[in-house]
Amino acid sequence: MGDAGRMAALALAVWGAAVTPALAQDSERNRYYVQQMIELAASHDEQGVIAMQRMLEQEPRPTATDPAAAAAALQRGQAAFRQEDLNAALSAFQQASRSDPGNPDAVNYQGLIYRKLGRLTDSERALQLALALDPDRAVAWFQLAQVYGLEKDDRRALGSLANTYRYAQNPMRAEEILRNIAENETADSLRNAAVAALRLYRLPVEPAIVPPLPSNPGIVPMDAPSEPARAPRPAPTP
Amino acid sequence: MKILREILLAMLLAGVMPAAVAGQYETIDYFVQQMIAQAIAGDDTGVQTFREQLENLSRPEAGDAAQARLPQQQGQDQFAHNRFKEALAAFRQAFIANPADPDIAAQLGSTYLRLGRLKEAERLSVYGLSLMPAHSAIWLTLGQVYGQSGDAQRAAGAFANAYRFAQDRAQLSERLRQLSGPDNAAGVRDGASQALQAMPSAARPAADSSPSPARSSAPTGASFTAAAAAPPSAPATGAPLLDSLKRGLAALGQPPTATTPAPHVDGAANGDNPGQRIYRRSIPLTCLIVTLRNGKADNLGSGLLVSTDGLILTNDHVVDRADNLTVRCGDREATASVRRRSKSPDLALLATSLKSPDSFVLNASYSQNLIGLDVFVIGNPYGLEGTFSTGVISGLREIDGVRYIQISAPISPGNSGGPVILRDGSVIGIATMRLKDGQNLNFAIAAADIVASGLFDPARMKSRSTQ
Repeated sequence: MGDAGRMAALALAVWGAAVTPALAQDSERNRYYVQQMIELAASHDEQGVIAMQRMLEQEPRPTATDPAAAAAALQRGQAAFRQEDLNAALSAFQQASRSDPGNPDAVNYQGLIYRKLGRLTDSERALQLALALDPDRAVAWFQLAQVYGLEKDDRRALGSLANTYRYAQNPMRAEEILRNIAENETADSLRNAAVAALRLYRLPVEPAIVPPLPSNPGIVPMDAPSEPARAPRPAPTP
Repeated sequence: MKILREILLAMLLAGVMPAAVAGQYETIDYFVQQMIAQAIAGDDTGVQTFREQLENLSRPEAGDAAQARLPQQQGQDQFAHNRFKEALAAFRQAFIANPADPDIAAQLGSTYLRLGRLKEAERLSVYGLSLMPAHSAIWLTLGQVYGQSGDAQRAAGAFANAYRFAQDRAQLSERLRQLSGPDNAAGVRDGASQALQAMPSAARPAADSSPSPARSSAPTGASFTAAAAAPPSAPATGAPLLDSLKRGLAALGQPPTATTPAPHVDGAANGDNPGQRIYRRSIPLTCLIVTLRNGKADNLGSGLLVSTDGLILTNDHVVDRADNLTVRCGDREATASVRRRSKSPDLALLATSLKSPDSFVLNASYSQNLIGLDVFVIGNPYGLEGTFSTGVISGLREIDGVRYIQISAPISPGNSGGPVILRDGSVIGIATMRLKDGQNLNFAIAAADIVASGLFDPARMKSRSTQ
């Protein structure tokens, strides 16, 4: 992003900070900041991403009404999740969120379960909330990238993967995960986003699918042999 | 002196000084490249110094070793059958499960190498060395990466380190002989040959025992042999090897690069390399400054003796809130008073009773020619007295009318006011500040501005200009 773009983003941020409270709920404002982090990351605008992160971090955190109940519900949800009982897990995590709306783990799990259940819009909303509470949570960025990949939203998948790498505790591990996706993922959007994210950070990658080579006039078409057909070679003996 | 130590300890325990920051890939790569450069230069102490730097970096969080075990075994099977793409998939899975295991990082790097993906092989190898700097097999892979990239000199340095840290040196030299065979890339061949020439004669194979080209081209799994790797606690005595390496490099007519200075003939043996020489001369002239406020220890920093009659230069921000000052230069301790001070540039001149036969000379050079020069920093980061670090001059910056030397040598709180020294022993700047979120983006007030300031007393202080 150039200077003009950066200025526009900052102006938008100021507008977001100053104007949106009057127009929307806190969650909408947080969603706006998360979306800005995605867009700025896709443009490789580090300062912009950090500026948005700071805005999110300055937001007031919801207070827990019943921390003990939240912790118990969280444990129940994790146990159900391990048993792959997604509906029970979802219900427990929702209860944890009601008791402690500021707990990023509870909403992060909800986002993961919604994605597994194919409820992508709910998943996106939950993951964005998790990121609003904890903007440098790499795992939530990664899950959000998967959601955008499934929604075939290349740009936002790229921004989310770029933030996955940015906030990864172990960047080399994140790099290898990205390369794995870039070379093996069957979903085009996510695979292309991983390739683009690696290139954004100038990291080496060997894409699984390469663009077609330009036509070479020296190649003779198969149906126009330039020399007489030969007898087939014998197969090698074992 | 005892009181000063107690104050320091108390400050450390009280958490006045925050914890050090973890290093990223670029930091790791810098130390690895320095280990290679020092190996080429024949500087055994230098290699060990940078190895320690690597070992001092924070370790990544441990992964799930149990989850990594099966894919790692699968990767080894696939690799043994030359199915490298399948091995890559398996090792990658193992690495993602447990990125803190140096063997898995080594195996993944080696597989990338076999697939001809040299950049990935280099990154995984460099990362692997941050987990275990004395991993001989990783050094061997890295040498092949550089050799295949056409950089025989770096290959030779990496191979020398593979030999240095090898547990089974006979096996390692056999592997190097294979790599020096005609079927290998020229850079690998040359690098391995240089490393072989550098080996002590006892370890070098007899001429008639050299393998035939056919044998040397046979694929081996030597990169995976754990026996080649020595534990970090078993450093090799590398002086004869490195002396030979120097001779090998000289025979090939390859001049040392800017980062690999011409080695002192017996530098590794008597410890008289430039860094050690500068350290020995500078440490008695470098001072620890502890400030007291309301009767309690308040701050600490560094300073340098700039006159034979006890004048000490430091940063103003080190002393600006102090009621009283205590200094220690070398093994001598005294109280100090502020003689002159300046907010911009951030400088203070202290007067003490510490007479000295020697003092630092300020180097008033300030030109683009400085960029790239080696620098040495001494100071007391976090109260760790007499910490010595190295780097280069990365740039020249003017901030608010003050000229700064940007350096890559690591500095931390407590380094403020300490000398930044050139190879000739002159002081090119005073460590003053760092970019908090940067990687070794550190700044020293240029000595040129000190000489130009009102604090400089030409009758008592020395300066010169070399650029």
